[in-house]
Amino acid sequence: QSTIKWRMQTYAGPALAAHVIDPAIAMFNKIAGDRMQIELFYADQLVPTGELFRAMQRGTIDAVQSDDDSMASPTEVTVFGGYFPFASRYSLDVPVLFNQYGLNEIWDAEYSKVGVKHISAGAWDPCHFATKDPINSLADLNGKRVFTFPTAGRFLAQFGVVPVTLPWEDIEVAVQTGELDGIAWSGITEDYTVGWADVTNYFLTNNISGAWAGSFFANMDRWNELPEDLQTLFRVCCDQSHYYRQWWYWGGEASLRVNGTKMQLTSIPDAEWAQVEAAAVKFWDEIAAESETKAKVVEIFKKYNADMAKAGRPYRYG
Amino acid sequence: MTALRAYIRIVDRMNRWIGRLVMYGIFVMMAILLWSSFSKVGSDLGFDINPSLWTLEMAQFAMVAYYILGGPYSIQMGSNVRMDLLYGEWSDRRKAWTDAITVLFLIFYLGVLLYGGYDSLSYSFQYGERSPTAWRPVLWPIKTIMCAGLFLMLLQALSELAKDILRIRGEHIPREVI
Amino acid sequence: MSYELIAILMFSTMMVMLMTGQRVFGAIGFVAVLASLLLWGDRGGYDIGFSAAMKLMKWYPLLTLPMFIFMGYVLSESKIADDLYKMFHVWMGGLNGGLAIGTIGLMVLISAMNGLSVAGMAIGATIALPELLKRGYDKKMVTGVIQAGSSLGILVPPSVVLVLYAMIARQPVGQLWLAGVLPGLMMAAMFILYIAIRCRLNPALGPALSPEERDVPMGEKLRLLRAGLLPLGIFAAMMVPFVNGWTSLVESSAIGALTAFLAAVFKGRMNRQVFETSVRSTLGISCMFMWIILAALAFGAVFDGLGAVKAIEDLFTERLGLNPWVILILMQLSFIIMGTFLDDTAMLVIVAPLYVPLVGALGFDLIWYGVLYTITTQIAYMTPPFGYNLFLMRAMAPPEITLRDIYGSILPFVLVMTLALAIIMIFPQIALWLPETVYNK
Ligand code: NA
Ligand code: NA
Repeated sequence: QSTIKWRMQTYAGPALAAHVIDPAIAMFNKIAGDRMQIELFYADQLVPTGELFRAMQRGTIDAVQSDDDSMASPTEVTVFGGYFPFASRYSLDVPVLFNQYGLNEIWDAEYSKVGVKHISAGAWDPCHFATKDPINSLADLNGKRVFTFPTAGRFLAQFGVVPVTLPWEDIEVAVQTGELDGIAWSGITEDYTVGWADVTNYFLTNNISGAWAGSFFANMDRWNELPEDLQTLFRVCCDQSHYYRQWWYWGGEASLRVNGTKMQLTSIPDAEWAQVEAAAVKFWDEIAAESETKAKVVEIFKKYNADMAKAGRPYRYG
Repeated sequence: MTALRAYIRIVDRMNRWIGRLVMYGIFVMMAILLWSSFSKVGSDLGFDINPSLWTLEMAQFAMVAYYILGGPYSIQMGSNVRMDLLYGEWSDRRKAWTDAITVLFLIFYLGVLLYGGYDSLSYSFQYGERSPTAWRPVLWPIKTIMCAGLFLMLLQALSELAKDILRIRGEHIPREVI
Repeated sequence: MSYELIAILMFSTMMVMLMTGQRVFGAIGFVAVLASLLLWGDRGGYDIGFSAAMKLMKWYPLLTLPMFIFMGYVLSESKIADDLYKMFHVWMGGLNGGLAIGTIGLMVLISAMNGLSVAGMAIGATIALPELLKRGYDKKMVTGVIQAGSSLGILVPPSVVLVLYAMIARQPVGQLWLAGVLPGLMMAAMFILYIAIRCRLNPALGPALSPEERDVPMGEKLRLLRAGLLPLGIFAAMMVPFVNGWTSLVESSAIGALTAFLAAVFKGRMNRQVFETSVRSTLGISCMFMWIILAALAFGAVFDGLGAVKAIEDLFTERLGLNPWVILILMQLSFIIMGTFLDDTAMLVIVAPLYVPLVGALGFDLIWYGVLYTITTQIAYMTPPFGYNLFLMRAMAPPEITLRDIYGSILPFVLVMTLALAIIMIFPQIALWLPETVYNK
């Protein structure tokens, strides 16, 4: 029996992938041995990230690790992948939303419609600004050209931010060549890991989302062809990658805020930041008005956040 | 042969006309980029303009239209380099013979490109695909332009084949026309 | 079939296809899509070609390409460099070999105004060369002077080759450009030194101008110096906002193109014909570049899909167990060999993606390597039998210069350039000091 070969492409470049995906795939290949091998490709390597979804849908690529937003998946849930503004506060919020509040079912149904298997969603890092010039007030955001997620960009545009989307691997250079003034894409762990901390000077401690939602996907036919035990193994390895991120980011964010030397921390005062949080509530309603499915997801977010607030400490502090 | 000549005449004239129109696209790109720097510097200086969301992407669309639609005219002008280590020394007849065969490879490449483009374009229409940026332009217009350009490029390659066939039959056809 | 074997097969098929003289982009693109169809045809292998077009669209620094090409054509077609030449002519003519030295100076200024070596070649061959020959300069030496001098075009910023390199190596263009400044000036100084020494030993190679020709009133001489302001102005208009971060790279290239265009308009040189030729040639050359890059991106994606880059890395480091410096020098040599039969863009987009990651993995500085790479490709284009610069020279030089003269002229300059290359390899700070100081890293 010949070895099953899969080609998988991640949204991440090699430096980040070394943490968020390489170990999981190495583990999969080691266990599956001669039965199945996954070849991993990094950001934009085989196909540009914008074409990633389509490439998977028709089988040029068998599996993908990405958030829904950056790979522009043609589903109703795309806007919620990546960083949906203020949908989560902690990285554990995301798996709870998916596993206990019904997002898994919605995602599964949406992706099945377009011939793609949604395997699992996990929580990745929080979303902060890393910039060349300091941000101490909302006014400082005005006119900043920032690399960010499409949906986050739509949201931030009301504060004068100019969202720019470029290939992930070009970001560091784009900051240096002046195409970008900063990045609103990740937490501080990622800033240090991928080299963005070397080209920016300031880290804004206010975050527009506590954790992004990113997923593993596969071409539906390829997935169905796999024997059940390999499907299970693949799921386990995906979960391993999610789990790695839980502690890697949680510890990393705190440690680099305390011990990091490359970026200076700045904050926007709470009273002023409250305007952004209020704008997010309005933004949610705008999104909810777009379709029934979106309304359902927004409703789940609201219910979850209300529950967390009621639960009180340590789930929510005020 | 008359048919070949008519085909060459029509295709070359049409592609030349299109090429001569898109060659001014250099000023379109320049204008977009200058507006981009003007609006950015302006807002830095405190004037009430916001750096535009659309400039970089729009300039990229313009660039793609420029080189894909201009491609057939560049073939007519003989701008596309060949490795002429051996080729440069050959007689016109020998060049024509070789080209008549190797242009089939070029046609094959363009055909595959066009097929991929058609597939990508139909996806665009089917899902109303938008660019994953804050500006979110729909992508079918640029993909339509790309497919049209690839199709014209294919017509031009066929015209080159037709010219080589005529050259093999002894007709003199200039290799580079501006 | 093993992936290594497929990769070798692809590469050799492409070489054979190139030898047939078919358009380079057609040859590369054909091999890429054919391989992709054979390998992954049942799984959407047919969209690798078009995917490359989408990738190219997102590669934003490519926007600088048409801008710099247009800028180069405006400069050479409108002949706004004539005054510059006169300036050097009057000021340097009194020395033995002075006009040749002045030509190198001219080339440095031209380099600062455009990003390709073509413009320098065109200006050198049409303005400087006839004058030098008329003044009894040795035709072999001056042909070499112009070829060598024009190679500064892509080393002194702005430089298109370094932009393309920056995209492949994912290094900041600003730092690469600054890294090219001192090596470019050093190389110019070495050319000048070579010319001065040879003409001192043998004044017949470059006789000094006669006294009556040199007898220009001081006022006139000073007035001519103003010609030097033009390149400085164009250079500053583009580089100052860029280095200060007021405008981005692509925006700066548009500013450069606009400034060159306006300079030609204000000097009254932008007539209908100049305009037409510049706009049309810009389309032709931009298309040439873009279609090759399009095809090479598809080729590269298939190569990547095969893991060929990793295979080459393993071959060099693990199986052959070579020392990093030996690998580096072997790579430089292979560029020179490939440059004898590969076109420059093709070499950049096909070979550089294989080598650059390896250079990084070996622990070398990729900015420094960008400079080495640029000088090496320039040497490659000057060495027979095939070389971009050689052919340009043949196309542009007056009829009394034969191909034999051209081939014979470059040897001493190639040696000088090789020496410069060695110096920069031994002393990386020559390249790295300026970017490190400006970007204080
Ligand atoms: Na230059
Ligand atoms: Na050569």
